[in-house]
Amino acid sequence: MGHNAAIKEHRALPEGLPLDLFDSAEGRRPIVLDLLATPWLVRASELRLPGDGGLGRRIGEAVAVSWDAARHSPVAFAWRGRVYDVTSVVQTWAVEHAWWDAGQRVSRRCWRVLAGDGGTYDLAFERLTGAWVLLGMQD
Amino acid sequence: MGRNTSFVHLHVHSHFSFGDGAAGLAELIERAGEFGMDTLALTDHQGFYGALRFYRAAREAGMRPILGAEVVVESAGVSGEECDLPPEMRLALPAPVGFGRAAGSGFHLTLLVKDIGGYRNLCRLLARTHVRSATEPSVVALADLARCSEGLIALSGCPCGEAGSAVRVGNPGRARRALMRLAACFAPCDFYVELMHHLTPDSPRYIATLAALAESCRLPVVATNNVHYVHAEEFRLHDVLSSASARMSLPGPYERPNAELWLKPPAEMRRLFAAYPQACDATLEIAERCDLDLGLGSFHFPAAEVPRGETPYSVLSKAAWRGLEERYRPVTSVSVGRLQHELAIIEELGFPEYFLVVKEIVDFARRKGIRYSGRGSAGDSIVAYVLGITGADPIEYDLLFERFLNPARRQMPDIDVDFDSARRDEVIEFIYRRFGSEHVAMVATVNTMTARSAVRTAARAFGYGIDEVNALSRHLPWVSAHRLRDVLATYPECRSHPLHESRYEPVLEIAEQLDSCPMHLGTHLGGFIITREPIDTWTPLQWAAKGVVVSQYDKDDVEALGLVKMDILGLRMHSAITETVALARARVGDDAVPEPFDLVHDDPRVYETIASADTVGVFQLESSGQRNLNTRLRASRFDDVIAAISLFRPGPLEAEMITPFIRRRHGIEEVSVPHPAMADALADSYGVIVYQEQVLLVARAVAGFDLAEADSLRRAMTKGRSRAEMVRIRGHFIERALERGVEEGVAAEVFRQLEGFAAYGFNKAHAACFAVVSYASAWLRTYYPAEFAAAILNNEPMGFYTPRLVANDARRHGIALLAPHVNESRERYAVADAGRAIRVGLRDVHEMTARLLAAIECERTVRPFRDLADFLRRTRAEAQAAESLIRIGALDGLGVSEADRPPTRDEMLALLPELKATIAREGVAGDDVLLLAPGPVRPVEDTSHVSGWSPARRLSAELELVGLSLTCHPLELAESDLRARSVTFAHDLRGLRDRSKVRVCGVRERAQTPRTRSGKRTCFLTLEDATGLLDVVVFEDALQRAGETIVKHRCYLVEGTLQNNPERGLAIVAESVAPYTVRTASGTPVRLRRGVPSGPMGSSLGGVGAAEEEL
Repeated sequence: MGHNAAIKEHRALPEGLPLDLFDSAEGRRPIVLDLLATPWLVRASELRLPGDGGLGRRIGEAVAVSWDAARHSPVAFAWRGRVYDVTSVVQTWAVEHAWWDAGQRVSRRCWRVLAGDGGTYDLAFERLTGAWVLLGMQD
Repeated sequence: MGRNTSFVHLHVHSHFSFGDGAAGLAELIERAGEFGMDTLALTDHQGFYGALRFYRAAREAGMRPILGAEVVVESAGVSGEECDLPPEMRLALPAPVGFGRAAGSGFHLTLLVKDIGGYRNLCRLLARTHVRSATEPSVVALADLARCSEGLIALSGCPCGEAGSAVRVGNPGRARRALMRLAACFAPCDFYVELMHHLTPDSPRYIATLAALAESCRLPVVATNNVHYVHAEEFRLHDVLSSASARMSLPGPYERPNAELWLKPPAEMRRLFAAYPQACDATLEIAERCDLDLGLGSFHFPAAEVPRGETPYSVLSKAAWRGLEERYRPVTSVSVGRLQHELAIIEELGFPEYFLVVKEIVDFARRKGIRYSGRGSAGDSIVAYVLGITGADPIEYDLLFERFLNPARRQMPDIDVDFDSARRDEVIEFIYRRFGSEHVAMVATVNTMTARSAVRTAARAFGYGIDEVNALSRHLPWVSAHRLRDVLATYPECRSHPLHESRYEPVLEIAEQLDSCPMHLGTHLGGFIITREPIDTWTPLQWAAKGVVVSQYDKDDVEALGLVKMDILGLRMHSAITETVALARARVGDDAVPEPFDLVHDDPRVYETIASADTVGVFQLESSGQRNLNTRLRASRFDDVIAAISLFRPGPLEAEMITPFIRRRHGIEEVSVPHPAMADALADSYGVIVYQEQVLLVARAVAGFDLAEADSLRRAMTKGRSRAEMVRIRGHFIERALERGVEEGVAAEVFRQLEGFAAYGFNKAHAACFAVVSYASAWLRTYYPAEFAAAILNNEPMGFYTPRLVANDARRHGIALLAPHVNESRERYAVADAGRAIRVGLRDVHEMTARLLAAIECERTVRPFRDLADFLRRTRAEAQAAESLIRIGALDGLGVSEADRPPTRDEMLALLPELKATIAREGVAGDDVLLLAPGPVRPVEDTSHVSGWSPARRLSAELELVGLSLTCHPLELAESDLRARSVTFAHDLRGLRDRSKVRVCGVRERAQTPRTRSGKRTCFLTLEDATGLLDVVVFEDALQRAGETIVKHRCYLVEGTLQNNPERGLAIVAESVAPYTVRTASGTPVRLRRGVPSGPMGSSLGGVGAAEEEL
């Protein structure tokens, strides 16, 4: 089936649920992941206008993260007293910026995760301080 | 080769991507090995610069190397409509990549070599791209790509590839067209779409788009990581190199968003491409399909001229026997036997064609009267001698063929020949004509970073201004960059170096890591590759900066490939000898001056010249250390000259061979050898193993080795000796000695001596070949000193000393130095006054132009110049050149002034602007300078000299404008002050007792700190005062105190102990070194060396010139 297999295989109108695309949260997740990774779709949160921070929310707060060493990814994070389970890692990337300037330097590894509450969050591990930060909420 | 990994890196850059790679080859291979990888590719930008090294190192490490290159290709997917778009809306080309004139701006494409056919095709493709035009950028044409694609696998490239670039800007249609056209250049299944996951926010989208395009085009995908450094933390080095090579400060030309271009382990790569396992599998498939065997170990000779019915051996043999008759009169049974022996080995090894090629080249030089001499271990061969390639008789000097060609080790012979520098181009032209330009190229050299260049590179990248960069690199010694901290901590001259400041810590840290990093590709001084097949099937070529076609391989690579490399070196001493002979013959007649290379080496006056260390300008015997050795050795025969050349070398110096040699030679110490059989072998070096050939002789005499075995023993002792290997060799040696009845203890002692000296011995054949030239130059210096000095000055830069010292030395020998003069001087230095004077040539005067030189020569044939106006009118001399000529005294004595005497230099300088203006306005000037009244000028300083200038002022102008001190040595101006300070002059030292306390003063000529066995630093200073040279030794403790003074000043007062005995020679062991400033009577500092002249018409009315001290 190639790319976006979940989308292609999904039965859009399951019997008994004429107005809903999905029969459960689990059934919805593969489709969401496919959509997030689809190259020809641009998420609303990434849309930016001049002088605009975008539709996502920048947070930049420290969080506690539970780490799965086997999968090399976070499994949960605690933010403002609430624990969010990471149901899927959507994307991961790294940032290394201005290493020659101690005042400007950024060195972090980022994970965009889909949490149990349905939200998409950007978590970052700051290599210079060893701290985890919730960079923002995308959707 | 078994496979035990799940991923192979196929896109890897090393240091040899020059500025876009921070990975060392050894580190890459080692790291890949740690990952369990058995295959690794190398794909540097635009070439194979590091490919051969990588190939050999990988195979040695048991890894399969894949060779390749990332090339820049012309646009493949330009559609008609894009051509109509304004440039800013077209797909932007990436920044240029590649080194020097092989750099090009285009879309990247990764090419991998499948087999030897692919290797040849990629060499040809690169050569064609780089050398088809000296002016066009190096971009691979699609037509060439299609023509040379057989045997190659292509990957579509990094995000700077055409497809990648188009995807990045959201133009998948354009990417698709590019992929289709590029794929069409290659065989089916030989083109892959390259996926890279660099962990940027855009990476998933980039990969997904390319994968989708690949699927739609039915092309396979492959995963790579575009490796640019081995370990993750080395990204900083990569950024620095990129910035420095683009002459930008950080972040440099790429502004990379992160640091993910490292050699990632297979598991990490698999994890990154979890959604595309087939892309990782493809790396294994490609690796399986790439199986290149370069066939290293075989030799490929160019075609020699062989008449029909003959073979290369028969032609060589006939020429050699003819040569034997000419060289040996009478022919002896020893020489006949030796020639037979050598010819048989040469035939057996398959080298006759090599000898014939060298013979053709030297025959050409001989026919054309171009002076040349063979050097190196080729001097060990009687074949080379009878063919006229070398000049020292191998039988007379006990030179052993097996040291040159060991029949037990089939290695490419290496015959180096030095040609007259002035006519070397004629030889090179002959080589191109004879073998064809498509079969000849120059060899490259890879220049690597030292402490100084590493600091400059790092500092530039950090954005420091040029003055700061200069300050950071100045006064750093020439050491490896990894020793920077050690040098800063321990070297006295670096005590106050700015790198000690903490703000430069990042520069220091990066500079240390840049140690030995290839910096740029240079051109070998005289190495040529000559091939039978077209050379571009063996090596990629490109234009070198100096405008010649150069291989991308260095000499080791060329040797590994089995290609013939000829060193066509230029030797300025040959030019000087030729010129001395011509000048001498012009003065005393052709028949009076014999050919110096044909002299019998038995003239006592020549040996006296050498033994008295009166050897400035003499080939190989002139340096301060060598002069010291000359006095200790007291040469009286040709063998002594060979010994002198051999002993003053890093190996013998490090092994401290000189002292026992001298002591035994003069009977201070008894000659003793552990076994009587050694006595014969070491007879000419008093029982000390000085020559490599002697190791062979001793092994033969004591253990009964044949010479081939003995040479293998010598090599084993010399190169990379492991303890286990040495134990094995020792056992073998002792066993063989015991068989011959040698006592075990004696055999062990002999072996101990061989082991101790084998690595340090010098090649006697090389020394013997040099000694022929040394003797010839010493003979010319002895009998024709003025001609010899003039010829040396005409062929500068050469030798150990500056022209200033060569001229001063001539003056000390009673030869007058005459300033340049427009009515007397030629273009070059010339001998005058029947060999008692040297007239400085006009060529060396600052601001002199070729046009003005020609005008002066031409006008002078009509009539001499009468005065300044006449000179300016007839030559149209430029103002700056005219000013220089006046200031140097080239117009002294011309014309008559109001004072009924020739005008002074100040008067002429004052008139110059007005005269120039008048000539420019009216086309002529007055016939007499008196017609134009000079403005007010400085009063005459010295009425006894026609210039009107004081000696100090004349001297300053001479140093500034021709770099010589013609009037006098600068220290002569300070003579009374020096006497008041109880300074001893150089010519008085020899009369003082050994261990006397002395104070001397001299201008620095050279300062050397050679390696010593103890590891301590000792500085050897060569100073010059008005009476001669002073050799000063500054040991470590004194150097700690004086290091900074030595580096920062140029003239010193040295206090120390005189060493004056036959065993150690003449030198001053310094206790203190203090700066000394030479001042005129009025207290003005005097210039001590050539400096940057002041601006046009500027300093002419000024003082005696800038003070010399460098601060």
